[in-house]
Order: sequence, then C-alpha cells, then structure tokens
Amino acid sequence: MKKLYSNKVVILSLITPGLLTFLLAILAPICVSIYFGFTDFAGIGEVKFIGIENYKVLIRDEGFWMSLKNSLLLAVGFIVIQHPIALVTAAVLDKLQGKAEGFFRCVYFIPNVISVAIIAYLWKFIYNPNFGLFNKLLQILGLEGNVNWLGSGMAIWSVLLVLIWHGFGWGMLIYYTGIKNIDPVLYEAAAIDGADFKQAFFSITMPLMKPVIQMNVTMAIIAALKQMETVYLLTNGGPGNETQFLANFLYKQAFKSYKYGYGNAISVIFIIICLVATVVLNKIFADREERRRKA
Amino acid sequence: MNSEMRKTSTPARIILFVGLSIIALIQLFPLIWLVNFSLANPNELFTNGILVWPDEIQWGNYVKAFVDGNFLLYFKNSLLINTLAVLFALVISVMASFACIRMNWKLSGFVKTLLLLGMMIPIHATLLPNYVIYDRIGLTDTIWALLIPYIAFSLPQGVFLTSSFMSSIPKELEEAALIDGCGIYRIVFIIIMPLMKASLVTVSIMTYLNNWNEFMMASTYLSTKQWKTLPFAILEFTGQYSSNYAVQFAVMALTAAPALIIYIILNKYITKGVAAGAVKG
Repeated sequence: MKKLYSNKVVILSLITPGLLTFLLAILAPICVSIYFGFTDFAGIGEVKFIGIENYKVLIRDEGFWMSLKNSLLLAVGFIVIQHPIALVTAAVLDKLQGKAEGFFRCVYFIPNVISVAIIAYLWKFIYNPNFGLFNKLLQILGLEGNVNWLGSGMAIWSVLLVLIWHGFGWGMLIYYTGIKNIDPVLYEAAAIDGADFKQAFFSITMPLMKPVIQMNVTMAIIAALKQMETVYLLTNGGPGNETQFLANFLYKQAFKSYKYGYGNAISVIFIIICLVATVVLNKIFADREERRRKA
Repeated sequence: MNSEMRKTSTPARIILFVGLSIIALIQLFPLIWLVNFSLANPNELFTNGILVWPDEIQWGNYVKAFVDGNFLLYFKNSLLINTLAVLFALVISVMASFACIRMNWKLSGFVKTLLLLGMMIPIHATLLPNYVIYDRIGLTDTIWALLIPYIAFSLPQGVFLTSSFMSSIPKELEEAALIDGCGIYRIVFIIIMPLMKASLVTVSIMTYLNNWNEFMMASTYLSTKQWKTLPFAILEFTGQYSSNYAVQFAVMALTAAPALIIYIILNKYITKGVAAGAVKG
C-alpha cells in the first residue's frame, strides 16, 4: 500500500493538469510581464531593452500614485462605511428570524449575482445628468439637480459609492454566517441577565466575530487594490486620472497609449503590491491572534 | 421558538424590520429602476418623476435586445464555457489535492503552496502578457482563451477547499478499497469524490459566480462573436444602440435575468456555498 502511494508515475499524472494550468496561465504570464517590463515595446514593431527606465518613469507617474491613493480611499470606504453597516445589519438580521430573515438575506446579495458590466452601466445611467435617477431625486427634493456626478472632483466619490453599494451584500453574508456560528446559548444567557441588543452586540458578537472581521477587512483591502471592472466601464479612470486604479491604469497604458512595455512594468509592481499587502495583513492579524491567545 | 424571540418586543421588531427594509430598498431600487425604464418608450425617460408609467409597455425593447443583442448565442457561449470551466476546475482540484494531501513525495507541500499562491495574484495583471502569449500561439478568438484562465484562477480556491475537506476523510476507507485491489484513480474518482459533495458544490458555486460575470478577459482575448459571453453583450450593444436608452436598459435586464433566476431558485445553496467558500478562502 505504501508503495502505491509513492508511485511517481501516479503522482505525476495527478498533479500535472493542475501544475500545468498554473504554470501556463499564471506563472508564464508573470515571467513574460517581467521581460516586457524592461522594454519599450509598443505592441507592434521591435522590442528594445531599456533597463529599469519604465520603473523610473512609474515612480514619477502621477497616475500611479493616484491609483494607490484611490485604492487606499476605497479600502477606507469599505472599512469605515460598508463593513460597520454590514456587521450591524447581519446582527439585526440574525435576531429577526422566520421568513423575513431568509427574504432579506436573499435580497441583500442580489447585486452580487449581477454582472459587473450591468452594474457599471446601470450606475452610469443613474449618474446621467439628463435622465439619471440621482438628479431626478434632487429635483424632487426641490433642488436644481444638475450635478455632474462623474465630473471632476465628484467622480471618485460616485465611484466609491457604487463599489460600496455593490459589495455590501457579500460582506453582510460573511458576517451573517459568522454570527450564525456563535453559540445561541450565549445570547440566551445574556438575555436572562437582562442584557439588551446593544450590550449583547458589544460584549458577545463583536469579540467573538474578531477573526471574521479581520478576514473580511483583509479581503476588502485586497479587493480595493484589485479593483478594475467597475472603474473601467464607469469612468475608465477619468476625468484625467482622478478615478484611476492600478489594473485600469496598466490596461489603459498598454491598449490606449500603446505603451505595452510600460503597462507590463505596472503589472509587475501591481503583483508585488498585492503579494506584499496579503502577506503583511495576514502577518499583522496572525500576530495579534497569537498575542491574544497568550494573554 | 427560543427565548431570544420572546425577548424581542413587538415595537422593537417593527423598528428592526423598517431598518432592514430601507437597506433592502437601497440595494434593490436601482434594479427596479432598470426594469421600469426598460419597458418605457425612449422619449418617456426624460419626463419628471423617478419612475415612469409608460403609456404602452414597450415589450419591443426586449425583442430588439434579444435579437440584435445576439442573446441566444452569448447565452449558449456563457453556459458552455462556464460549465466546462467548473468541470475542469473540480476534477483538476481534486486530483491535485489528492496528490498533495495523500500521496508521499518530497515536493507535495511546496507544490500545494505554489498552487495556493495563485489566490494572491491579481487576475488583471495577467491581461497584457496573456494577450501576447495567446496571440502568438493562435489561441485568441478560441474557446481556450477563456477556458484556460478561468480554470487557472479557479484552481487555488478549488485546491484550498477540496484539500481541507479531504484531510477530514478517514484514511481507513481508502485502505479497505486498496485491499480490495482498487487503483489510485478509482479511489480518487469513485470513492473520494462522492464523499466530497459539499465542498464540490462550494467550489462549483464560487467558480460559476466568479466566471459567469467576467468580461475583462472576454473583451481582451476575443474579437469575433463566436465565443463572446453574456456580459459582453452589453458592451457591444451600448455601442450599437447608443442613442436608444430604453433598449439598452432592456438588454441589461435581459442579461441579468439568467443569473438572477438561478439565484432566486437556488439561493439557499448559493448563500451557503459563498459563505463556506469565502470564510475558508
């Protein structure tokens, strides 16, 4: 039996499909990116090596820093606005019970099953200055209602609103599942001791949900870094680079400005930033977890 | 009914209910607005009021969206590509997990970590290099241009979920099968896989959800109609009907419909699957 489990041919045949797909679709492109990142390739024509010139330009590129700033802003938006609302909603939903509980849980997640392409175009219409939902709402409230929602100065907030709105159901569902895993006996005991919803939330739900909150926050920050689709369709990073995000930035550089080499250099930095962010966040939370356990 | 329920008084329940309803309205209203406008005459969109009450419901918008939007072709493509991606992702994940978890070889831990590393790689960083690679080897405009990356980016999560589930299956089952003379492949596919239904469902749901709505790769790697998927219909259509907004609303509603209907029918399984996939992933 031992022999069968160490059979090299069998092992190879089991692992090859997975490893090959990984190498071809993930590792090979990264290597290709690293290569083109050192060139001034325009998409067609000859490939000339220019060393680290692309990276030097990138450090001074306003679009790059704008992308990082917007990712940070989005992450803050997720953590400060979306997640507290999602967590409280999840806790309230858990108390509701019965048919209504299932109904709301189902409804909140609906935007997540709809393609980002639809969501982005839909919001583009909502922000439309002529017949858009938002300006009409303002008109009903007695205001002029001629706000240019995707114009300069306003666009980034409009983009953040869409992303916070769209991801709400996902975050809520994760918190909801976490709360469902808390032993109901704890709440019953608290109720016997006369604790109200607020007390139970802060002394039972919050502490026990810490690992879930940490995981959700990590995922939110990574999602803020990886954001592309909504921005691509809603504003394509504009006006100027006001709503730029890294993924959209590299795409635009390569396919709109024909700086394919430069786009790949951004890809490489993009991957490094995501890897570092994931490792650092996991480390921060793992350390805290450990200290908590020791204490 | 438990004691908690009795504790929540009626006025408190009403306040909770109203609060939750407001959030539900915020989450749903844009979609209601979408359906409402999709049934109106394009000129009616510019009237006052948040919703329009069309003089005559314009079902024709949907006919245009269905026919000119090539709905059937894109729907068929979406269904085929996503189903194949899910099947491949499942089989490959289970095989890789078995090799890494159960089989004895030196690099098992390393290879598993390598596969899981894929979770951290941003999908969109591979758009530019993959475009050139696929272009050079003639994969652009073929089904493979979407299948390969869809499978590849589903694998990390697939391996993660199936391997953690697999390690909870007792080895004795396999030992008994081995004594009966079963080969490794039969153990993997006939004995192990049926035991893993729960995690396979989770992987399928996550893979479907991630790939069904994907359009960046579709619009980058494909230029002809042949394999384009549903989300792409909207991108193409808005260009074609750029002045007829009502028809654009119709194509959006139509494109959203399949996933929405499936979700409403299977919502219990889908929410469970997402929760399991996300908490563990």
